[in-house]
Amino acid sequence: MALLTKTPFSFLRNAVISTSIRTISTTKQLNIKEIREHKDGNKLIVEGVTVPSPRMELLVKSEKVAEEVLSVEKPTCYLCKLDLDVKHTDVLILSQFVRSDGCMLPRRVTGLCRRQQKKVSKMVTMAQKAGLMINLTPSYCKKDPKLRYAYKKFNTYFDEKTIFMKRIPDQRDKFKR
Amino acid sequence: MSAAKRVQQWATFARTWHIFDCKWQDPYQSANVIKKYLMGLHKPIYHPMNDCGDVVVCINSREIALRGDEWRKRAYFHHTGYPGGASWTLAWELHNKDPTMIIKKAVYKSMKGNLQRRHTMERLFIYPGEEIPDDVMQNVSNQIRQQRLVPQRLDHIPEDEVQQYPKVMEYPSDYVLK
Ligand SMILES: [Zn+2]
Repeated sequence: MALLTKTPFSFLRNAVISTSIRTISTTKQLNIKEIREHKDGNKLIVEGVTVPSPRMELLVKSEKVAEEVLSVEKPTCYLCKLDLDVKHTDVLILSQFVRSDGCMLPRRVTGLCRRQQKKVSKMVTMAQKAGLMINLTPSYCKKDPKLRYAYKKFNTYFDEKTIFMKRIPDQRDKFKR
Repeated sequence: MSAAKRVQQWATFARTWHIFDCKWQDPYQSANVIKKYLMGLHKPIYHPMNDCGDVVVCINSREIALRGDEWRKRAYFHHTGYPGGASWTLAWELHNKDPTMIIKKAVYKSMKGNLQRRHTMERLFIYPGEEIPDDVMQNVSNQIRQQRLVPQRLDHIPEDEVQQYPKVMEYPSDYVLK
């Protein structure tokens, strides 16, 4: 049965080969911080250590950033430039915008534009409700979508078109006069 | 009639058994596909008076997926016939009681209400899990294509594949990892 279905993440593979647009500089290694605690005698030392970002070499690289910046008048974020058709089932992408407890990162951390931040955070919610990122949940979670309460234990899928809808049409609307 | 023509005649009018995997499929969308095979609409010899419908075996009906909040919004109506006998059952409550009922009702509703509908429904077999009786499985000769992709859970993707996946977002330099 798996043979009949298309591989879901193929679009990104194409995107990696075809697009080479990226605003983040690759010359300087970006570092992030980690808080470490260790005891030295009866002194507790808490320090912020600068560590290299995980999986740095896999960051989507850019070569034509300069001409891209000139051609585009309005500054856009990296996700707009990559122009990916991200669905709520693409958990490998969505899990990058999420803390280890499954909470969406704020816009000052993700660096997305307003629209993309809204889109990604809604899709993260959809993926969590569908139980696709069950390993990125708070510690009190049972880590199994089938053990959730009442209607939540059944499979649910979502339509990405509803993300920017003002009001999602209801099933019962057709009975209204 | 030559032997080849005779075999062609048998092959034309033989009932084919199709299998359909309901895993992560919308029952109301897949009902429109199942209906075509059940009624024989996919055959060039189709005619309403021609009994040419096929048999469809649905497996994994417990794993169907409903859209958005439909599990708690869609209600199934039943009336016992007595005064005050009306009842509305939500989709998730019905699925708790009988995991085959939603797909059965969806296929039943997708067909036009005529005398043939009940007989057509007799040719639909629904199983909540993957186990099917052997006497059903040995007849199956075709698989109906699924409508929607089955999503993969993040914890079911191998760890090295997750680590090797291209990175889109980069943390700011003063971000504290959590
Ligand atoms: Zn943007």
